Amino acid sequence: MTTQPVSLSRDLAEKQVMRAELSDVDMAVWRSASGVVSAWENRCPHRGMRLSHGFVRGESLACAYHGWHYNCEGACHYIPAHPELEPPKTIKANLYNVTEASGIIWVNAVGTVSPVTLPSNTQAVRSVSVHCSLEIAAQAFKDYCSLSPITANTRTEVVSESPYVLALKAPLPANSPTPSMQDKSNPVSVFIALQRVNQTTTVAHITASEHASETDCIALSRWANKVRTHAEVSVGSTE
Amino acid sequence: MSFTLHDYVLSGNCYKVRLLAQILGVAYTVKPVDFHPGKAHKTPEFLALNPHGTLPVLESDNTLLTDSSAMLVWIAQQFDTTHTWWPTNDAHRLALTVQWLGFSAKLTESIGQLRLHTMLNRPADAATLNTLSTENLRELENHLCEQSIRGLAFLTGDQPTVADIACFAYSALSPDAGIEHTLYPAIRGWLHRIRCLEGFLTMPGIYEAHETRNEHTAAS
Ligand SMILES: N[C@@H](CCC(=O)N[C@@H](CS)C(=O)NCC(=O)O)C(=O)O
Ligand code: FES
Repeated sequence: MTTQPVSLSRDLAEKQVMRAELSDVDMAVWRSASGVVSAWENRCPHRGMRLSHGFVRGESLACAYHGWHYNCEGACHYIPAHPELEPPKTIKANLYNVTEASGIIWVNAVGTVSPVTLPSNTQAVRSVSVHCSLEIAAQAFKDYCSLSPITANTRTEVVSESPYVLALKAPLPANSPTPSMQDKSNPVSVFIALQRVNQTTTVAHITASEHASETDCIALSRWANKVRTHAEVSVGSTE
Repeated sequence: MSFTLHDYVLSGNCYKVRLLAQILGVAYTVKPVDFHPGKAHKTPEFLALNPHGTLPVLESDNTLLTDSSAMLVWIAQQFDTTHTWWPTNDAHRLALTVQWLGFSAKLTESIGQLRLHTMLNRPADAATLNTLSTENLRELENHLCEQSIRGLAFLTGDQPTVADIACFAYSALSPDAGIEHTLYPAIRGWLHRIRCLEGFLTMPGIYEAHETRNEHTAAS
């Protein structure tokens, strides 16, 4: 297993916890008050409650069940039922390697995390989930790279096979409704990083060059929704 | 003018009315109805009040309402002195509010029905309801993605309206119907913003935002 994206950085605010699945590994991903992101096995060391149901307290994640607090290193440092007790060092959440780069949160559940190098001057567009395998989703984003409302002349480039990242270069013809994408001297690029949730669910995390306009980003968001429909229809017709 | 709410604590549609009343600081009388297991909303007495046999029902001196969206409008128009929850001063936002109130009824039909099936074992075509619920949540997610690109935090603009309350209930309760929010990041952000509103009210399955909880709270 390799590094994969789990969320756009924008969609995990300070003091928030979310659930993410990566090739069937269930995890709790959370951001502390100071902005540190952690990805842990979604299982409280105490009684196995999902940690994604918990809540962030400053630099700690608290379990929703009995309120045990874990710091950013995963160590339990507070047990509400025994406030005087210093919890043994052995009580520790199972940590995965996580990093943020190019506006995306990347995780590797089994080894070191090595994100794909993408331009840093990008903005978040959206994450869209597709009910199909990663391979079918990847093919659909490539095949439909010139589907309305982004059209013609789009070049695709597979930036990385694993994790799978596709780039769309300089989309859109002269009569497009999204003017900033046509600027030949400074073309907009779009990056699509795929997360394998499991065999039948994939999430596409989409970013675009910083200078893409609001209209461009909305067009991209609608396009991604259309690609999803196409990908899912193709699954339906082969079943 | 205050009112009486015929209410069931686990009903998403009743919760909408309680939530808006709480946010606007409106006092009212609650008449609990034994929806489950008593089926008190199907008794002749109740059907005389509301022939549809549904909850909630709102009664005041000169009004009897049997639709939660209508109740939200009635309450906002009377008690919201800021005119933001039912934005009658802005044709665009008012129209969008009506549009999303209409959408909220679809959520009752899909997620609401699936939740009754999941929690109370109501007979239903679960696969169809599941497909419908997913379609509805995707429509909401698509819209909220666009709103966030526009820098707008709520369904119709930068402030919540009765439509946000109406759509909030069953979107937030979808885990009760077996649909988690994991794959819906824009919905997640929007649910969180509503949970952070001043005067927010909880119900079983919908909790307050952790920021507003007391230090070291834990279930026992
Ligand atoms: N249009 C009505 C629908 C209300 C509705 O469906 N309520 C549910 C409870 S949340 C109900 O009473 N269902 C009757 C039943 O399932 O027996 C509204 O929005 O108030
Ligand atoms: S299960 Fe997490 S604190 Fe008990």
